[in-house]
Amino acid sequence: MVTSNSEQDELMGLLIAVSREDRQAFQQLYEKISGRMFGLCLKLGSQQELAEEALQDAFIQIWHRAAEYHSDRGAPLSWMMTIARYRTLDLMRSRKAKQTSGDSQLEHVEDQREGPLDVSLRSAGTAELTGCFDELSDVQRDSILLSYYRGFTHDEVSEALSSPIGTVKSWIRRGLMVLKRCLER
Amino acid sequence: MNKTPERIERLAAEYVLGSLHGPARKRFESWMMESAKVREEVWFWERKFGLLPGEVPEVMPPPSVWSSIERRLWPVESPAGKAQSRANQRWFWPSWSILATAAALVMAVVLMQPEPQSSRAQFSGAIVQADTKDPLWLVSETGQGNLLKLRSVAASAAEAGKDYELWIVPENGQPLSLGVIPVGGLHQVTLTDTARQALSQSRTLAISLEPVGGSPTGKPTGPILHVAKLYEL
Repeated sequence: MVTSNSEQDELMGLLIAVSREDRQAFQQLYEKISGRMFGLCLKLGSQQELAEEALQDAFIQIWHRAAEYHSDRGAPLSWMMTIARYRTLDLMRSRKAKQTSGDSQLEHVEDQREGPLDVSLRSAGTAELTGCFDELSDVQRDSILLSYYRGFTHDEVSEALSSPIGTVKSWIRRGLMVLKRCLER
Repeated sequence: MNKTPERIERLAAEYVLGSLHGPARKRFESWMMESAKVREEVWFWERKFGLLPGEVPEVMPPPSVWSSIERRLWPVESPAGKAQSRANQRWFWPSWSILATAAALVMAVVLMQPEPQSSRAQFSGAIVQADTKDPLWLVSETGQGNLLKLRSVAASAAEAGKDYELWIVPENGQPLSLGVIPVGGLHQVTLTDTARQALSQSRTLAISLEPVGGSPTGKPTGPILHVAKLYEL
């Protein structure tokens, strides 16, 4: 993520203060990262109201769970973004379960001229994960990034990439293992 | 299901990616509670995938999100109650930021374009109020002569016997007064070097309600009405 060490240090300081129930630090933390976090929730959830709810829930979790943070969980910002991402995915899943018919997200995908994955996001993974995405085939990379950024289920990836679900599952599994071997090097 | 290293590795990756669903996801969460090895595997992917959102564009959430968070965490102290008690209390500076936002008034947005003659970073922003469509004031820096300009847009006059006073909120220490600001038209303030430096570090302005002519003590005495964070252009 594009953040300087000094910003990470600052976020770490704020998280420590939040773990001691410092409300002012909590608000500063909100002011610092809510824009980035909301961008992610909105990208994933594609709905303003869902993204707002996810952002609220994420910050409430951060307030209660700040003391659980430790450096094995990544940089402070990554950890907080991960909380927001999981919460957005949870909300998306619970709402999808309630849908009786149709799937607005897939209809939305079909409308997009560029295809389901923005070009910028497709290249983004390469830069951020130190080139390891280059070792994946196009379909492996796209199915992983669709799951990551859009919260797509296997069914949805299968529909978006017009491929059988079994094939998509194996692209994702194999792709993740290729990524892991590369990231561990 | 056996927790072989290969299976843990695969499921942890899919868990973090989000492609593990339903009962399988729940089952994996219970594995995480039981096993440090499983948690470490999850953290590996959280660290790696946690880098990806940096590419997603920032979007400012509406101010109502912060108000809702405060209401959910601290339901007893409603923003209205705080605003009321605040008006009766002496200014308590260290909590300016919580008080101001509890009033759910303020969000800064970029509305101005940079002026072409500038050769260094300039600040810009707006003082806005949640229930008013237009900003109250637009703030911009000219980049020449340390001038800060406030253009009144939707600001309404202060109550009788009162004035609005503008402050720079530094990162540390007391706020610096930029004087009383009128409502209507364009108002310019010349920043001293000290003030410019404090503003460039904190990028934060505040407006308080003071007796006519401004604070008699040199520090804010009335309630804070707005806090705005400026943006560098």
